[in-house]
Amino acid sequence: MATTFKNFLSNDLANTRTLLHEAIPITGSIISGTYGGSGVAIGSETNIKTYGHGMFESVYDYPYLSSSANQIFDVTVGYSSTSPVSASGNTQNAKKINIYNQMAQYLVGYDITGSIKNFKMPTDNVEMKECYFVPFSRLLTKDEIKKGSFALELSVSGSQTFTQGGAAQYFVDRVKLTDTSGSNGYYVDSPAGEYGVLFGSTSAGATPLLLNETLGTAATNPAVGLLYYQAGVAVLSASIFNSSSLGGLIGTPAGDTAPANPHIANVGDVTTLGFTLNVTGATIAQMADGLRNRIYNISYNNTTELNSTIYFCRVGHGDFNYSSNPTYLSASQIRVKTRAADTPVTYFTTVGLYSADNELLAVAKLSEPLRKDPTNEITLRVRLDY
Amino acid sequence: MGFLDNSGDIILDAVLTDTGRMRLARGDGSFKIVKFALGDDEINYELYNKNHSSGSAYYDLEVLQTPVLEAFTDNAASMKSKLISIPRNNILYLPVLKLNEVFAGTDTATHSTGYFLVAVNTATEDELITDSSGASITGILTGESPGRSGSRIRVDQGLDTNAISPGRTLDPLLVETQYLIEIDNRLGHIVSKADATPASISFVDDDNIASYYLSRGTDREYVSEISDTTASTLQVIKGPRGTKLNFKIQSSLELNTSDYLFDTIGTTGNITGKNGATSHKQIKSTVRVIGVNTGYRLDIPINFVKKV
Repeated sequence: MATTFKNFLSNDLANTRTLLHEAIPITGSIISGTYGGSGVAIGSETNIKTYGHGMFESVYDYPYLSSSANQIFDVTVGYSSTSPVSASGNTQNAKKINIYNQMAQYLVGYDITGSIKNFKMPTDNVEMKECYFVPFSRLLTKDEIKKGSFALELSVSGSQTFTQGGAAQYFVDRVKLTDTSGSNGYYVDSPAGEYGVLFGSTSAGATPLLLNETLGTAATNPAVGLLYYQAGVAVLSASIFNSSSLGGLIGTPAGDTAPANPHIANVGDVTTLGFTLNVTGATIAQMADGLRNRIYNISYNNTTELNSTIYFCRVGHGDFNYSSNPTYLSASQIRVKTRAADTPVTYFTTVGLYSADNELLAVAKLSEPLRKDPTNEITLRVRLDY
Repeated sequence: MGFLDNSGDIILDAVLTDTGRMRLARGDGSFKIVKFALGDDEINYELYNKNHSSGSAYYDLEVLQTPVLEAFTDNAASMKSKLISIPRNNILYLPVLKLNEVFAGTDTATHSTGYFLVAVNTATEDELITDSSGASITGILTGESPGRSGSRIRVDQGLDTNAISPGRTLDPLLVETQYLIEIDNRLGHIVSKADATPASISFVDDDNIASYYLSRGTDREYVSEISDTTASTLQVIKGPRGTKLNFKIQSSLELNTSDYLFDTIGTTGNITGKNGATSHKQIKSTVRVIGVNTGYRLDIPINFVKKV
C-alpha cells in the first residue's frame, strides 16, 4: 500500500543538552553619557527610570518611554541594620536596610535560627554590611552569567567632583572587577544558585590604586564583591568606594590629593567623599546615580541552556520516491518519467513531524531542495530545542 | 517568511507548529512525535525538463534552484503535498482525486457560481432549493436539514488518463482506502449522504479546523469502491477507478442561529433563487479532501449562505 508517513523507531531519537553563550558588552556611555550631558540633570536622563518608592532605579538601553527600549539592569544600595553607618536619622534608612535584607534573604539565606544572614566574603569570611546591588535583566543574562566572563570597570578617581558622564579626567583612575576564578572557583552555598567572588585590579592609572596591590600580580587583587551567576546579580562591597582611612580598599593614586575617596553621590559638598560618608545623607537613587556615573563599561557572556531532541529521519532507498504534488502529474502520468521503467524522482524541501493522529506538530525546512530517488538514502537530523 | 540562505551548506530550519505548541502547553502527553513525512510544497515539477539539450544532468537544474521559504508555524500552511512511498519503482501513473459533478446531475454538481452553496437555515433552503420556475438549482446543500435533498459532494479516485482502459483494475497499491476531510468547525460539519448521520471528528486544531478520517472498511456510507468500469459519461475518472467519497455538509449551530460570523468574516451579495436575485450573507470557505495513503488532495470551494 502507498503511504505518506514513516514511523520513528526507538533508535531514531536522541536527547542532548547544549550551552549557548552570547557576549554582552555594555558601554559606559549608555549608562551615564549618551542620554545625559549639559542641561540634563543627573537622574533625569531619558534612559533612566526612577520610581516613586525610591527603592531602585532602572537603566535602559534607549529612552525608556520608547517601545524599543530594553531594560538592561537595575541599581540599588543598602546596608545591614548592624552596619556602623546605619542610623535612624539617615536618609531612607529603613529602605536601605530593607533592600539589604531582601537581597540577603534571597541570595544568602537564613541561619539555623531563621535569621537573615549578612553577605559575607567567602575568601576571608568578612561580612559586607554596605553594598551596591546590580541585578541584570533576564533579557541579557538568559539562564545564567557564564562563569569567569564578568568584568565591570569602575572609575575610582578620588579628587574629581561628581559629574555626569564623567569629564576626561574623571576616568583616569580605574579598577576592573572580574570573577577571574569563576570558572573553577565558585561557591554553591547560596539558595540562589552558584556565585563567585569579584576581584578588583587596577586597569588604568600609573600606580596600583588598591590597597596592597601589586600590578600584574593576581594574588594581590582584593575581593570586592560577589557575583550570583544564575540570579544575575552583582553585589559590590562599599569598600571599593572607600579609602583605607575609612576602612576601604582605595589607596592614594599618584597625582590625586588625599584622601582618595571617590565622590560617589551628588549630594553634600565636594569634601564629602567616599561611599560611607555619602550613603548616610543620599537617597538610594542618588547613590545609584553615583555608581552609574562611575561605570566605565560592563561585559560578560550569558548562557542559554538548550535541551534538544534530535529526530533522525531515515529515508531508505525505497521511501518517498513519488509525490502527491499536483504538478507531479500530467493527466495522471508522472511528469519526471517517460516510461514505466524510468527511475522515479522527487525533490523535497520540508520535513514534517507528526503525532499518532497525523497532526503536524513540528516542521523543518531545508535551505534547498534535495533529490530523492531509489538509488539514494538520506538521513535528516531534525533538532527541536526546548 | 523569508527565503532560507542557500549559498552554503544545507541547513535545516525547524520550528514547532502552533498546534505543536498548543499540545505542549496542554501538558497531557498529547505532544508526542511518532512519525515523519516529507513535503515538496515549493517544487514545480513542470520545471523538470526531460528534453534538455545538454543532457540528463540538466533535467532538474531549475528544480534544484528553487528558493525555499522559512518554516511556517501554521500547521495548515505546511506539508500541503507530501512525498509517497510505494514499494515499486515501475509505476508510470498515479491516482488523483476529482470532483464528480456529473454522476447525479443537480445532486452532485456545483452551483453556477463555482461553489457548493450550503443553505444554513430553513428560510435559505426554501429560497434556494428551486428557482422561480420550480426547477431544482444545482449545487445547493441543505445545511439545516441535510436529508431534505439529495444534493451531496462526491469525490472519485483513480487514474485520470485515456492511456489505460477503465476496465482495467487499479493496482491495489494505488487504491485509496482512507480519506481525510478538513473543514472549518465553526462553519459546518460532515454528515453522511444516506441519512445525514454526523461523522466523528478526529480532532479540532487550534485554528478550528476539524479533521474527519473516513475509511473504506468502517465508514461504508462515505467510502466505497467505484464499481462502474465502463467509459460512462457519469464518471470523471477516465482510467482505472479506485474508491469514491460521498458526503454532505451540515451548517453549524452558530451559522444557523447567529449572524456574527457572517458579519465578521463574510460578505453580502445577491443569489438567484425562488424569488429571483435576493440578498444573502455569505462566507466563502474550502473543504479539503486528502487521500491518506496516496497523499493527493482536493480543495472544494464552499459558500455558506444565509438569506437576509
